[in-house]
Amino acid sequence: MPRLPPEKVPAIVCKGLSKRFGPVEALRDLALLVPRGVTFGLLGPNGAGKTTSIRLWLGLAAPSGGTAYVLGKALPPREVLPRIGYMPQDVAVYADLTVEENLALFGRLVGMDEEAIDRRTDDVLRLVDIAERRHEIVSNLSGGMKRRTSLAAALLHDPDLLLLDEPTVGVDPELRAAFWDFFRDLTRRGKTVLITTHYMEEAARCDLVALLHRGRLLAHGDPDAVKARTAADNLDDAFLALVRAEKGAPP
Amino acid sequence: MNVRRILAVSRKSLSQFRHDKRTLGFVVGMPLLMVLAFGYTFGGQVHDVRTLVVNEDLGPMGAQFVSNLTGDTLAVESYADVGAATAEVRAGHAWAALWLPQNFSAALLSRRAVIHVILDGSSPPIVAAVLGTIRASLEKAFAGAGGATALSLEQDFVYGSSDTRFIDSFAPGIIALAVLMVTTIFSVIIIVREKSGGLLERLFSTPLRPIELVLGHAAALSVVAVAQSTVVLGAALLLFQVQVVGSVPLAFAVLLLFAVGNQGLGMVASAAARNELQAVQFIPLVLFPSLLLTGVFYPLEAIPGGLRPLSWFVPMTYANDAMHSVMLRGWGAGDVIVDLVVLGAYAAVALMAAAVFIRRQA
Repeated sequence: MPRLPPEKVPAIVCKGLSKRFGPVEALRDLALLVPRGVTFGLLGPNGAGKTTSIRLWLGLAAPSGGTAYVLGKALPPREVLPRIGYMPQDVAVYADLTVEENLALFGRLVGMDEEAIDRRTDDVLRLVDIAERRHEIVSNLSGGMKRRTSLAAALLHDPDLLLLDEPTVGVDPELRAAFWDFFRDLTRRGKTVLITTHYMEEAARCDLVALLHRGRLLAHGDPDAVKARTAADNLDDAFLALVRAEKGAPP
Repeated sequence: MNVRRILAVSRKSLSQFRHDKRTLGFVVGMPLLMVLAFGYTFGGQVHDVRTLVVNEDLGPMGAQFVSNLTGDTLAVESYADVGAATAEVRAGHAWAALWLPQNFSAALLSRRAVIHVILDGSSPPIVAAVLGTIRASLEKAFAGAGGATALSLEQDFVYGSSDTRFIDSFAPGIIALAVLMVTTIFSVIIIVREKSGGLLERLFSTPLRPIELVLGHAAALSVVAVAQSTVVLGAALLLFQVQVVGSVPLAFAVLLLFAVGNQGLGMVASAAARNELQAVQFIPLVLFPSLLLTGVFYPLEAIPGGLRPLSWFVPMTYANDAMHSVMLRGWGAGDVIVDLVVLGAYAAVALMAAAVFIRRQA
């Protein structure tokens, strides 16, 4: 890759990235570029390869073929993990710890010092609006609050790249709107927010989208361009048109 | 009450069993294993207790007595020198040494004969077996002559005493067993819990390495193990006045090494399990061999010969031997070095295996 200033290095570059699980091709020959400072929507139905992609980018699984660069580092991107915030689909926080203890754990694991953890905990809990629950045991919180705790843990170290796997599933509309406002704040500060979703109407809010179907990239670009390509009114119809075209096309 | 609803619940539970093949195997296999293990080990008599005989008798009676030391309880070996024989007992290589002095035959005629028995008294069941066999041989050898009453057994305890109780002899093993139970139960749950909540992947999305996770868990569980050992050892000393002639810190060191090894093994099982039910099945799998094949309740000499080699693959054997030697014989670290090295290797291998397994699961 050409030498770029660190803040210009693309968030993610994939070249022929593939992943097989036995006979199943979870991801096939993915070529993708995620620039810095955007909200990027990775769209597709269940089983499209969204979570698999994220797991590969984090080094949680090894690709079967191809490679990818995350913040300029080839897979597995160990060195840049402290600059990535990850919110998995499950609420992956310890239910038997307090909100604060969970955040402290993840802060220490990415190398933050105690003073920074304490300060940032205040900030991020206020951002996700659960500051008053700081000392509460997570299992006592509602589902929405647990998701906020999980998001707070991903944000604590002010990462350059946020990987959010279906962050808005099961989240009420009010909180969903708050999340989106917040994502846009982050991109304004030069952060990259990659979210996966199967809600097409939500995808329309992204700067860029990529449509995945059965492990293959059907289209990518800004939402309007993708719609225009299929002469569709919305992303839902665009997606269906692309899937139909794929099926009709010779293999 | 509705029978159909009750049956619906039962049916659901049985279906859950059916879908979990490993649990199904456990339901059938575990009781079978228990019956076999108990049957073979508790059915055993003490046998092959290494006993050294130093026969210096100038007359024929000594040889006559020795030739009557038959049966498989004792593994009798002739020794020329009583000093060397005593050293063997002191080193833990033999349980007992018998010394028949030069004047044995002559003294027997004048009804003042003495057989010296040098004993490792740290295991009352062994002492009972040795003394019982000697008395029986005496009866056989000198039955006609009424000779058995014409001599006395002079017991000389190298370790322990005739006061050493059964509880003293198995307390070291029980303490190790308590540590085994708690560390296994905790460690077997710890990884599978993190795995099921998606936490393991979340943890490894940070720079955390599997070996760091394993060591972190092990350090925390070791704090628990030390606290628990303190309670158990304290209770044994205060409530039951259990004999401790050796170093208490050394006993702690043995327990800690043993605990860390068990944690590693527990985490391997935890990483391999798909759910908490599968993880818990691992506990009796560790517990039964540790109870039955390691000399905790009955000496190793009571394990049938065919099963005896299995003992050397159960870490509890070494923990029990070290605890027994430290608490009852007062041995130092140098004397139990083999046990310490084996337990140390067990801990190191188990922790590394746990890290490898967790990496594969993540």
